[in-house]
Amino acid sequence: MRRLQFLYRIWVLCLKDMKLYYFKGPTIVMGILMPLFVWLAFVAGRGFSFTESLPALITLASFFASSSITPIVMPWEARQKSLEMLLSKPVTIYIVLLGTALASSIFGIFISSVLVTIGLLLNVIPRDLISLALGIAVSSLCYSFMGLVFSAIPSDVPADAVMLSSAVRLPLIFVSGIFIPVHSLPHYVKPLAFISPLTYFSDLIKNAYGYSSLLSPSIDVIALLLLTIIFAALALAANKRTLTRRL
Amino acid sequence: MPLGNVVEVHDLVKFFGDVRAVDGVSFSVRRGEIYGLLGPNGAGKTTTIRMTIGIVTPDRGEAYIMGYNVHKEPVKARSFIGVVPEISNPYVDLTVWENLMLVGEIYCVPKRIRVKRAKNLLKMLKIYEARNRKAKVLSKGMRRRLLLAMALMGDPDILFLDEPTSGLDVISARMIRSHLLELKEQGKTIILTTHNIDEAGMLCDRVAIMNRGKVIARGTPEEFKIRFGEYARILLCFDREIDAKLIRKHFDSYEVIVQGRRLAIICRSKDLRDVLEQIVQVTNEYSLSIEELRASGLNFEDIFVRLVEGLG
Repeated sequence: MRRLQFLYRIWVLCLKDMKLYYFKGPTIVMGILMPLFVWLAFVAGRGFSFTESLPALITLASFFASSSITPIVMPWEARQKSLEMLLSKPVTIYIVLLGTALASSIFGIFISSVLVTIGLLLNVIPRDLISLALGIAVSSLCYSFMGLVFSAIPSDVPADAVMLSSAVRLPLIFVSGIFIPVHSLPHYVKPLAFISPLTYFSDLIKNAYGYSSLLSPSIDVIALLLLTIIFAALALAANKRTLTRRL
Repeated sequence: MPLGNVVEVHDLVKFFGDVRAVDGVSFSVRRGEIYGLLGPNGAGKTTTIRMTIGIVTPDRGEAYIMGYNVHKEPVKARSFIGVVPEISNPYVDLTVWENLMLVGEIYCVPKRIRVKRAKNLLKMLKIYEARNRKAKVLSKGMRRRLLLAMALMGDPDILFLDEPTSGLDVISARMIRSHLLELKEQGKTIILTTHNIDEAGMLCDRVAIMNRGKVIARGTPEEFKIRFGEYARILLCFDREIDAKLIRKHFDSYEVIVQGRRLAIICRSKDLRDVLEQIVQVTNEYSLSIEELRASGLNFEDIFVRLVEGLG
């Protein structure tokens, strides 16, 4: 019963975040427009076909969309003075954060699914639909927890969290093998590639669409799961630590 | 936990940097009473409440709600309470109704009961007509009533209210106070913080007076009045404005408040005769006429000031 109530409260807060944050400015800009423009900047005028560049677009969209909501929710609610009201209800900070992470993941999954569907309509068929679906689901959760780590900065200005998360997210695009293959990266950047969740997701997507990949899909999924656990633990601990300063 | 106590707080301590914001606060609240934490701004009332409901972790001490340790079983403990924090808002982009439904869902109230309860609360708090309006367009008083409705959505046994009438106009404040008394009649236990002495005297069965993070006195408002019964307050109104410095010189061994033509002197009852003689002397010396003179026991505000300033 307690476990069911725990899950139910996470779902209720997830729905609240979906309703309140999906159409906020930072979500639209960082979650939809940003990946689109980054993708266009890389592919426009370089002779790439849509079929060739779709995996990169899905990778970017999933990454930006899933990590666009989590950094802003806590600072936003602290600023609106609704955080204390929420925390005084029968929830813990973990329930609140898990609800936010779930809402953010669903946003990422939705945006990625729209792109996969557009691909299907244009006859860009994935070779391995299961690993594609699994990859999108796990990586969305991973990115949303990563975004949640940035929400722990003890500020009630959402732009501060967005700026910090962008400072980390943007460089990751260049070291994760989306546009530049990992084996072509300078040797001092390669270690970074292997701690970036984007590397494993990008690899998984390439494999799912039949392009050459670095690792096997199962290793990519395991790496993403491990990074999800690490980011989740970091996010929960960091947010709990800075909570008092937000109230 | 002794029978009948629904809230128990033991030796709470909280530091913010080097500042000891709460310093060994303990109190217990009986079922069905209104308990007030009274103190000036910065006394540590809000931090005490936050630790008592488990959203701030104390550096030392424990708090129990209905026997549950709020830091070990926060969800269980908080399922018995409703809270209206001092500076807080509902979700401003949700409507009044959506805010209530959200809270009802968090308390896991079944839909049928949730809807019925929300309607009743909105009607009771006179915001039913505004149910489809977004919270951001509500007046401050209506928002406060919405927060009270949200605190009551889980039908809690205990209500925590941090400065419930702070910043409200007289009519809204009166409305909130009358709702609190109604809730007490329904058997709810209410714990409130306030710096409004009259409010505490009007509402509370018992109060703890806090200053600089410590509880400096506790009891019923009546007990305080009896304890300070040996004191008297003399109120005078002269025919013209008086010089505060000169007056203070004449009454330097008493607590004196001068405001325009008005003078208040707080003294022990046994000194009343001396004070009156001095008043006559001052009146003659400065050719003043007394338009009004009243003597009474100390009111709760006088008692509070004496306690906080260490005069009692």
